[in-house]
Amino acid sequence: MNNDTPVKLRLNNSELWGGLIGLALGGFVIWSGLKLRLGTINDPGSGYVLFYTGILMCVFAGAIIVSAITEGGPTLASRWENVRWSKPLLLIACLTAFAFALEPLGFLLSSIPLMLLLLRLIDPVRWTLAIPIAVLVPSGMWWVLKRLLLIQLPSGLFGIG
Amino acid sequence: MDTLVNVAHGFGVALLPINLLYCFIGVFIGTLVGVLPGIGPISAMSLLLPVTLSGTPESGIIMMAGIYYGSMYGGSTTSILVNIPGEAASVVTCIDGHQMAKQGRAGPALGISAFGSFAAGTFALVALMLVAPKLASVAIAFGPAEYFSLMVLGLVVLTFLTQGSMPKALLMACIGVVLGLVGLDSITAQPRLTFGRMELIDGIGLVPVVMGLFGVAEVLLNTEQAIKRDIINTKITHLLPSKEDWKASAGPVGRGTILGFFLGILPGGGAVVASFASYALEKRLSKTPERFGHGAIEGVAGPESANNAAAGGAFIPLMTLGIPPNVVMALLLGAFVIHGLQPGPLLITQNPGLFWGIVASMYIGNVMLLILNLPMIGMWVQLLKLPYNILFPLIILFTILGVYCSSNNVFDVYVMIAFGIIGYFMRKFGYEPAPLVLAFVLGPMMENNLRKSLILSQGDLWTFVQRPISGVCLTLALVLLIAPLLPSLRKKRELVALDEGA
Repeated sequence: MNNDTPVKLRLNNSELWGGLIGLALGGFVIWSGLKLRLGTINDPGSGYVLFYTGILMCVFAGAIIVSAITEGGPTLASRWENVRWSKPLLLIACLTAFAFALEPLGFLLSSIPLMLLLLRLIDPVRWTLAIPIAVLVPSGMWWVLKRLLLIQLPSGLFGIG
Repeated sequence: MDTLVNVAHGFGVALLPINLLYCFIGVFIGTLVGVLPGIGPISAMSLLLPVTLSGTPESGIIMMAGIYYGSMYGGSTTSILVNIPGEAASVVTCIDGHQMAKQGRAGPALGISAFGSFAAGTFALVALMLVAPKLASVAIAFGPAEYFSLMVLGLVVLTFLTQGSMPKALLMACIGVVLGLVGLDSITAQPRLTFGRMELIDGIGLVPVVMGLFGVAEVLLNTEQAIKRDIINTKITHLLPSKEDWKASAGPVGRGTILGFFLGILPGGGAVVASFASYALEKRLSKTPERFGHGAIEGVAGPESANNAAAGGAFIPLMTLGIPPNVVMALLLGAFVIHGLQPGPLLITQNPGLFWGIVASMYIGNVMLLILNLPMIGMWVQLLKLPYNILFPLIILFTILGVYCSSNNVFDVYVMIAFGIIGYFMRKFGYEPAPLVLAFVLGPMMENNLRKSLILSQGDLWTFVQRPISGVCLTLALVLLIAPLLPSLRKKRELVALDEGA
């Protein structure tokens, strides 16, 4: 079967997976609402709105699942067909690495490599342009925030920044 | 007479040098983000939300408003010259605007777009001045049941108008409500869905959620494709439209203005719906509809006027009821809240300087935009040549800094990155983020009003139906929920469905 063809009762129907995730989230919200106490209709508790929102989520997710089964939907692979899927993946990897590095390394030591990676990995900018941008922009922003606006950015274990 | 006195007072506030500066910064940034594809008013406003903390409430909100209506002006430049909409409300302008540019008529297209926007913006402001105080006096009588039902209607309208399947949009709205309820319960002070994290006690911040879902996710989507820009390279001349152009455009500008203003007021509506509706109307009214899509000036004049009028109209529900009708207004509500202000029926009487100052600044901002967008068009054209592979790392860096500065908390940067990744997958799977964000903002207010009305009515659910305004809102919401089940209405919905995320 071609990837473009809508698939019905197959596990690679992306609509089905979307609905199942929604259903699981709805179930979790219902459980959280119950745990927080529903209260009564005269005096609704902390979990009242959560519980009923969870039920609505399950209903809407159910509708998505039914539609995925009866009308079909695109395959998971077709969602990334004819696009450069590796580029967002690289960007996600860079952002995740940055998130882990931000606190221990501080803003300057983590954002300069991030900028350099983004400038070189996605649609490569020539080195002579990438290096000055990667160094000057974060440093300039750091200077403006720290010196002019007196905003303390994370300085990390090495105290740089 | 009262209105004139108030307007004079408003100009007194808006003409203060600091407010003029903030107004200029707002409209300048608005035009900039409108011109640059890949960054829209939502991202720019969330990025600059922390900056509003440093000045007075008037200055901050004047700047934020300027970004919004400024982006409506700037968006048309990219649509006409590059055939890429700078922001969602300018999608329609691409159709005829770029064709006009290809035929060597970029000047009149840009000119009529700026003049039409100016006329529509001015009309919307005058209407805002006249309608808002009247509506505010009516809104004082609103109780929790009315507020709850109005918010439900707003969410349902937005989900109705969102692209793709309605159950998906409704699921997004429910997730938004749940995310909005994270943190301490405002009535019982019980922590909800905090997973033992102290950072979540105050709830999830609006800025990281919006920056993630709109800013980071948009960049992730854009990197999937090599963005090609077909920039019109000829010199732009004859910005002043000819007599024939004016004759052809006067009707569309007038109709677009009125249509846009009323669509802007509707909860869930806004500039995007207005521009699409105006284009459809002009095509239908035209004696030569076949010219549409091939460079008809009416196809530029109508939608550009409509989106600017809608931007003005959208302030009415926020200023008079405290209910944001769309995501941009939700961010503006955030700016009010940061300063300890609550927009609503009492805002105009308790803070006349703030309300009338904002309205007057919008008039001044419209004049600034006319100057920025016509004589300085060459500067914006140069900016369009900035390659996306240099632009997107800067957008990422600014979003990180914007989020960090809004709370001085690294946790919010993690939240933004997480929502960026979630937002990317949501968009890939056809789930629009706009209902989620609006529900995220409205969720706590909806819960509060629902619980209050249930306590006041001693658990009588009929209170929502028996109160006339509440009953009408819920009936309308129900009609919109049922409508997509009917095949003829489903087709109509698909025609007007919009992509708020762009």
